[in-house]
Amino acid sequence: MREAVSAKTVWRERKLAAAAAPKIRKFTASDLFLVAAGLIILFVAACAIVPQWIAPYAPTEMRTDSIMQAPSGAHLFGTDYFGRDIFSVVVYGSRDSLFIGFTSVLVGGLLGGTIGALSGYAGGWIDTAIMRLNDVLMTIPGILLALAIAGALGPSLFNIVLAVAVSSVPGYARVMRAQVLSIKSRTFVKASVSIGASPLSVFWKHVLPNSLSPLLVMAAIGIGTSILTGSGLSFLGLGVLREVPDWGTLLSQGRGYLTAAWWICTFPGLAITAFVLSVNIIGDRLRDHFDPKKVTQR
Amino acid sequence: MKFDSKNRRKSATAALLVIVMLLSACGGKQTASQGQTDSGAAPAVQGASAQGGELTYALATSPDTLDPHRTGLAVAVRVIRTIYDSLVVQLPDNTIKPWLATEWTISDDGLSYTFKLRKDVKFQDGTPFNAEAVKFNFDRILDPATKAANAAALLQPYKSSEVIDEYTIKLNLSTPSRAFLGNLSQALLGMVSPTAAKQYGDQLGQHPVGTGPFKFVKWDENADIKVERNPDYAWAPEIVTNTGAPYLDGIDFKIVPEEATRIGSVQSKQVLAAETVPPQNILTLKKDPNFQLLQANTLGLPYTLFFNQERAPWNELKARQAVQLAVDVDAIVKTLYLGTYERAWSPLTPGTFGYDPSLENSVKPDITKANQLLDELGWVKGADGVRTKDGKKLTLHYVDGTPNREKRNDIAVMVQQQLKQIGVDVEVEITKDVRTVVYTNGNYDLYGNSQVNSDPNALYSFYHSYDPKSRPTLPRLASPEVDKWLEEGRVEKDDAKREELYHKIQHYIIDNAVILPIYVFPYTVAASKSVQGLTFDSLGYPLFNDVSLQK
Amino acid sequence: MLWMVTRRLLTSLLVIIGSLVLVFTILYVLPGDPTDNMVDPSMATPEVIANLRHQLGVDQPFHIQLLHYFGSILQGDFGKSLLNSDPVLPKIAESFPATLALTGASVLVSVTVGLLLGVLSAIHRNGAIDIIARVIGLFGISMPTFWSGILLILIFSITLGWFPAMGSDGWRTLVLPALALGTVGSGFIIRMVRNSMLEVISEQFIVTLRSKGLAERAVMYRHALRNALIPAVTMTGMLIGDMLAGTVVVETVFSRQGIGRIISDAIMAKDLPVVQGVILFSAIIYTLVNLLVDLSYTLIDPRVRRST
Repeated sequence: MREAVSAKTVWRERKLAAAAAPKIRKFTASDLFLVAAGLIILFVAACAIVPQWIAPYAPTEMRTDSIMQAPSGAHLFGTDYFGRDIFSVVVYGSRDSLFIGFTSVLVGGLLGGTIGALSGYAGGWIDTAIMRLNDVLMTIPGILLALAIAGALGPSLFNIVLAVAVSSVPGYARVMRAQVLSIKSRTFVKASVSIGASPLSVFWKHVLPNSLSPLLVMAAIGIGTSILTGSGLSFLGLGVLREVPDWGTLLSQGRGYLTAAWWICTFPGLAITAFVLSVNIIGDRLRDHFDPKKVTQR
Repeated sequence: MKFDSKNRRKSATAALLVIVMLLSACGGKQTASQGQTDSGAAPAVQGASAQGGELTYALATSPDTLDPHRTGLAVAVRVIRTIYDSLVVQLPDNTIKPWLATEWTISDDGLSYTFKLRKDVKFQDGTPFNAEAVKFNFDRILDPATKAANAAALLQPYKSSEVIDEYTIKLNLSTPSRAFLGNLSQALLGMVSPTAAKQYGDQLGQHPVGTGPFKFVKWDENADIKVERNPDYAWAPEIVTNTGAPYLDGIDFKIVPEEATRIGSVQSKQVLAAETVPPQNILTLKKDPNFQLLQANTLGLPYTLFFNQERAPWNELKARQAVQLAVDVDAIVKTLYLGTYERAWSPLTPGTFGYDPSLENSVKPDITKANQLLDELGWVKGADGVRTKDGKKLTLHYVDGTPNREKRNDIAVMVQQQLKQIGVDVEVEITKDVRTVVYTNGNYDLYGNSQVNSDPNALYSFYHSYDPKSRPTLPRLASPEVDKWLEEGRVEKDDAKREELYHKIQHYIIDNAVILPIYVFPYTVAASKSVQGLTFDSLGYPLFNDVSLQK
Repeated sequence: MLWMVTRRLLTSLLVIIGSLVLVFTILYVLPGDPTDNMVDPSMATPEVIANLRHQLGVDQPFHIQLLHYFGSILQGDFGKSLLNSDPVLPKIAESFPATLALTGASVLVSVTVGLLLGVLSAIHRNGAIDIIARVIGLFGISMPTFWSGILLILIFSITLGWFPAMGSDGWRTLVLPALALGTVGSGFIIRMVRNSMLEVISEQFIVTLRSKGLAERAVMYRHALRNALIPAVTMTGMLIGDMLAGTVVVETVFSRQGIGRIISDAIMAKDLPVVQGVILFSAIIYTLVNLLVDLSYTLIDPRVRRST
């Protein structure tokens, strides 16, 4: 229904925008955000790949004679209740956090995307059946689904990923299906069908490549959402206990110390927020880039 | 600001009390466990100024039900204790005193207990309390339809009761048990109104009626439970000073699961008292002149890590001893609980009958010796620091439950690091499903648990060798010696002999590194200074009979 | 249109039955059983536990339990909590008003803050206000709610003492949780309003209005904003679903009554009838809200009405 609305406006806007767009774009606040976000993501990636170059201490080293020390030159983020250097724990913790973020998006996106594409392209009773099943999943709020799955499978990093992934499947499926439906009805697709191309090759050559962009945008933002959902599970008591915990677990376990030693949960919290924020900024930019209704003047 | 001398004396007593308690908690020194309870019996409060008012009391989780025979949660007992009374009461010195029963005799074979009951007691709905009511209660617990759980376990070996006359009842046991009287003092075996139980059936938990100092008013799911003064109350046990109706008009138990919020609500004076204060906040609140901290150590089994003796190599004494020497319990307790919890040394907590103080300081960390023991067993350290033998790594599967109650998961993390020093690779498994992992599958080398209990006979279900057809015990110990002592301890009538038996058991368990005792859990309450007279029973449950609010 | 509503309601019924079966299956597979929270396994004998399981009916095979459950529902009996025999329906009914109040207040916060900042941000495009508004919006989306909730308690109840840290009686207890939950939604609305305002501004009729010499302020508020509102309204409808899910965490942090807490506790305790009751309830609400959103499309936008 909404595609029908936008078709006309898109055309009108494109023309307008083309007329209005200046030749050289000014470096705006949005660009500043983008650069900052890029840098943060690069740094976090570096932390995950070569933590030993960045962290000053071993993340598991407990100096029980210096617990809960405030941030200082020796301990940039202070020490926690075990006497571990929080900066080092956060640096190493980026590994599991990114793992949760990326893997669950990968699994959820692939699963949801495939289901959505199949449903949209096949149409008919397959579509109806899949979409009703999808509705079933959508009526159960994501966090509850994740809670039930994580509870069912037991707390391990992989199960958390699976829980977060499954709870995001219906969203991806819906978006993908809508996109495939709209591409399917485009003239160029109908044209290649009419000249006798096989449905599979039409799907593979035309429909899929043209349907991917909204899914990619959603996936980019989904990385942030997954990390947040993961930390929510940790808060609700279904976190994973690993030698070096992820940020969500660090934040959730340190939250009781907020009044006694604010730095214990604040820095993991800031790490989550900064990373999710960066991912959102980049996701937004991608969305604008792919959006047919895009407005050039930002 | 003007205080009358009575109030000033009261606050001075309270301040002194808090100081004494904190000293005893911080010093790591062994005090007579619930020292608070005896010194904590507040001076009798008289005068209109102390009468009335509502105490708001933040609980850490929601009770499951207010039916004492059905609950499985300690938090429910805190509320249940205000509504129901028991037949007898256990004092801090472990003697049993009258409550709803005035006196009792035990037959020579220890198989029947005859109780004389108070004649002036009425349930809050007007039902008279008598022998029939007692019989109804115990039969109700045995009835499968009641779905009784922990209460059914506590009532064992009860078989039947006979009403002798209106105020005399005889309880018959299938085997003698020295723990039986103590168990009768527990709130789980409290007396419910037969009228209400018949009327509400399995919904009694939502409409509780007992004989206690407070009457149930209402329960808003996940929000609060309100109780009000029972004006007819005149049968308080010896453990409190106020034998009559409580001074408070009522108590509003608020359910506040989030730790930060619970402590925050006391600090912002939204509630007057909050339970289970985490160590880091105990230290902060201690410095604040507006608040007081009350602590009561619990009786029974401390938080203990049990080795599963049926799994190699932990079936070998030297392997267990190596771990015993390598785990620095002092460091764990000091780091995680900041000196607010006492370290445990024995399978029993101090204050429990038969506790052996000679075990204190009996184990000292010694990494060299621990390494030596493992060397002797043929475990060789590899390049990664982990020991191996016959191509097998020396691993220890450490299981703990979720959520991170009393920082128990953090203990696992610390043990994991400490055992690295002697080349033991600790795999920590945190599971929601302890029942299956630990009790059904036995898939653990080390698992921690504790139990609040009024009698050392609690050791029986942990350390007696188990019937192969039945569920295994946690340590899976099979020692004929210990079995014999436990069986004797259960029935021994002479207290001195009984104490001796339990000393032997405790020594055996520590000498053979069957367990690693970690800490004694203190039930901790943070309260505004205006709250006076809050005391605790011998199991560490709060008693509100003497509480008054200073204006 | 009546036909459409009927058809939608019928499919919704199937969907709801489907979600009940799904949840039933997940919880059946979930390890452990309700007795875990009812007995101390180191204290109670296996016979006691076996009796309890039998009394609760959790020792029955899957299909029997499932049939039994749907049989009872058809008779209008939603069952009792396994844990404490609380009847499920009153339990939910008692807690629902608090959740409704929280959701309502959070939506209010989202919409107010979202509209205000979104409009300001669009008007002062790339200016300082725009940057601040967008950063606020991004923070709302990027912070775990339990963390922002605890921070709010620390600042506004412990330090300043302005609002209570917990409870669900009266509007004052609603302020902090609604802020914690509402900021998440406002983040989305700011983005949405800003984008649609910018979009509308570039449209032909605004350009015409401007060229007619209409004051900038009037152009913005009377024409641009009004047109940008439609997507914001739809967004709000979609947000309600997210908010209901968000209450699971926020109700715990602020110790509020509510169905979010009931269900998370029930999932942990494997209390099946309660979980099913809440799922049924939220599925009905979800379906109704979606139906309303779709209907409001049809009513607001004449172009959609024609195409359906």
